Amino acid sequence: MRDERAEGGMMAAGSDDPEGRLLVAYAAGDPVAARQLVAALGPRAFGQAMRMLSDRAEAEDVVQEALVRLWRIAPEWRTGEARVSTWLYRVTANLCTDRLRRRRSVGLDAVDEPPDPTPGPAAAMQEASRTQALSDALAQLPERQAQAVTLRHLEGLSNPEIGAVMGISAEAVESLTARGKRALAAILAGRRAELGYDDD
Amino acid sequence: MTDPRDMDEAGLDALFAAARGAAARPSDDFLARLVATAEAMQPAAPAPAPAAPAPRRGGWLGFLGGWPALGGMAAATVAGFWIGVAPPAGLTTLAAEWTGQTVDVGLYGEDDLLALLEG
Repeated sequence: MRDERAEGGMMAAGSDDPEGRLLVAYAAGDPVAARQLVAALGPRAFGQAMRMLSDRAEAEDVVQEALVRLWRIAPEWRTGEARVSTWLYRVTANLCTDRLRRRRSVGLDAVDEPPDPTPGPAAAMQEASRTQALSDALAQLPERQAQAVTLRHLEGLSNPEIGAVMGISAEAVESLTARGKRALAAILAGRRAELGYDDD
Repeated sequence: MTDPRDMDEAGLDALFAAARGAAARPSDDFLARLVATAEAMQPAAPAPAPAAPAPRRGGWLGFLGGWPALGGMAAATVAGFWIGVAPPAGLTTLAAEWTGQTVDVGLYGEDDLLALLEG
């Protein structure tokens, strides 16, 4: 069982964390803090979950669960240590890889959602297929590799930032990312034509 | 040109770009649900501590309203004393009705009462 309070999140003492201050206000019963926190944290967490899972319903479940865990620990939150955003990246990534692992054990064919039936331009449908294919491939990766690759290439975090999220060194992040990309490439190789990369 | 068996780095980067560009935004409805959950789980604000009572000037005398008010109280006290000693007409009748009997007790001679007030 992961102890989300204990893991990682190394920031210099005194680093600016406005969301941390909002969370302290929330725990003190501030009447507008809940709304402000959701506005500050919700969209980014949702984007992260969507980019990993390519499934709106699952992304909503992940974000709801991640924020519930945040509200639960709010009374114990201390500013000046980990940042709320670091904490939320980690919890969201963990919940996403949990979901991906479930897809893997069930069998991708059974879980694969049909593409969006609404007719759209070919490019848009191809785009949806690509993002779905990426999620499917991520599901087959070791979790730490999937997290490192997505935090780097989908969320755009730096290696030190990813290190803070995952509780590892920047060098370890580099290694995980490299291995993850190689594994992804191998998994996706068979689907290259299908994804429309033939005309490269 | 590129080996069809390999998804090369450029291909993978294009895939990442597609996922990044998907621009997934949460619905307003979903955000509202997140707020509702947050507020439902929010600890209650602590009740404000009762304000410390403002210090009263003049101690117990100030509490009574100061010397001007005390004059009134003195007058009321004296009036009460008078009512008890020399009840207005009708009061004895009323008292008799309530208690069933009256007893006239002479405490002081009337001359001595004036001496008391002036003292």
